[in-house]
Amino acid sequence: MKRTPLVILSLLLLFLASCTVVKEYEKVYVNDPDMELSNQKIDRFETTFQSYREAASGANGGKTGGGCGCN
Amino acid sequence: MVVKQEGVVVAINFKIRASFLYAFCGLFFLSLTTLAQDSEGVYKKRVLESTEVDLLMGYYQQDGNNAAVSGGIGNEALTDVVPTIVVSVPLNADDILIVDASISAYTSASSSNINPFDSKETADPYIASTGASGGDIWFNTTITYSHASDDRNTLWSGSFSTSNEFDYSSIGVGGSFTKLFNEKNTEVSIHSKYYFDTWRAIYPYELRQFDGGGPAFTVQNNNVIYTSNFKQFQDESRTTLLVGASFSQILSKRAQIAFMYDYTQQEGLLSTPFQRVYFQDKADFFIGDFQLADDVERLPNQRAKHALGARLNYYVNEHLVIRSFYRYYYDDWGILSHTLQFDLPIKIGMNYTLYPSYRYYIQSAADYFAPYEAHLSTASFYTSDYDLSDYQANQFGLGIKYTDPLLQKSISVFKLKTLFFKTHLYKRVSGLEAMLFTFGASLVLEP
Repeated sequence: MKRTPLVILSLLLLFLASCTVVKEYEKVYVNDPDMELSNQKIDRFETTFQSYREAASGANGGKTGGGCGCN
Repeated sequence: MVVKQEGVVVAINFKIRASFLYAFCGLFFLSLTTLAQDSEGVYKKRVLESTEVDLLMGYYQQDGNNAAVSGGIGNEALTDVVPTIVVSVPLNADDILIVDASISAYTSASSSNINPFDSKETADPYIASTGASGGDIWFNTTITYSHASDDRNTLWSGSFSTSNEFDYSSIGVGGSFTKLFNEKNTEVSIHSKYYFDTWRAIYPYELRQFDGGGPAFTVQNNNVIYTSNFKQFQDESRTTLLVGASFSQILSKRAQIAFMYDYTQQEGLLSTPFQRVYFQDKADFFIGDFQLADDVERLPNQRAKHALGARLNYYVNEHLVIRSFYRYYYDDWGILSHTLQFDLPIKIGMNYTLYPSYRYYIQSAADYFAPYEAHLSTASFYTSDYDLSDYQANQFGLGIKYTDPLLQKSISVFKLKTLFFKTHLYKRVSGLEAMLFTFGASLVLEP
């Protein structure tokens, strides 16, 4: 029963990996800078203050250590 | 039974550290393999054409009335200015060295009340003290080395970071390994970081007399003399291990998705030594309008965090992109949270993009949280830090970016690539309000 989420996730990843392959010359839209799946450099201040003020952190490329975050 | 439990904990910690070691050995072996493959002399585009410099500046200010330093009540106004420079240097066609340096200079009303009695004003949790503890400067430097294989399908990086402030220092090492498949439509990445941190603990002024040899003074309330069972923390170290993985996939010509998972294990002094706690079953004592602490917050010396995130980006047309993010988080302190964010980059002509955004955040309280005067002195763990309370927050953002794709404007020996300005308003339902202003300029060294 505990393995159910893992199985679902594996099947989902397998499904996604079998999507139609987009060729390099067709990637003009997904290569747009605003389509990047990571944060922009300027967003570091936003993720840092959120990690200080909120209990949750991680899974967003934000800060998860390296300071006490105590102010 | 206790010995058995400690044995299990030690075994688990050993397994985690062993996994960390294996992961790094694996990364090192894979990097050697990659370097060997790179030796073939083929033409390849440089990973980074020229040295790039990013000048960044963040200005943050907040205001609220739930300061953790004064036990969940009092002024928590704070301002923070963070100038940052990031220099990315291409060492050759495949390798990049990134040096990232930040200085964070803050002033904090709540920190100033670690010692609320060091100014001429009457001590009051809602008024910042003018003493020395009201500000600090935090320095951080991170050096990252990254390498890409000839076919750019294998990437690895290693990093070293150090940071220091008056009462806290940190050293971190990290690494990542990324593999692209399926004509670069699929990307799998693993990463890890390990921080070795050390507190130089500072305690509330009035508690220092009970342990640590601070100046003694007598305060009475109805013939009862102020006292506390306060004891300093014996272990001032903190370690943080982060292990994470991500999977991203191009879904179509206009859509791509990513799943991220991060596991964080923290050990050591996880309490903040200068945050006061007031117990409901203890008498109250005041100097001026400031209530003297019953103790500092006490939190477990271990914490395990799990964060599972997903991003979905969709290119609607040449004017609009939809960026979305969701994160599910839980930890073994009883906190569970959801985060949902949307950014809608709107392109205006060749050079300008607007960035409206909205973010919603909700979390449950830690098992050890209770507000002012609600804890019992018989409890093992307690805190009145509202960052660990249950709350909801809304964040509204707006930004503008100027892009010069042809690099026509020069500043000294650099060409201007982008200029960025963003502002965010963050509002907790419980009252805390914050504003963040960020500015960034990306420059490219002229060839």
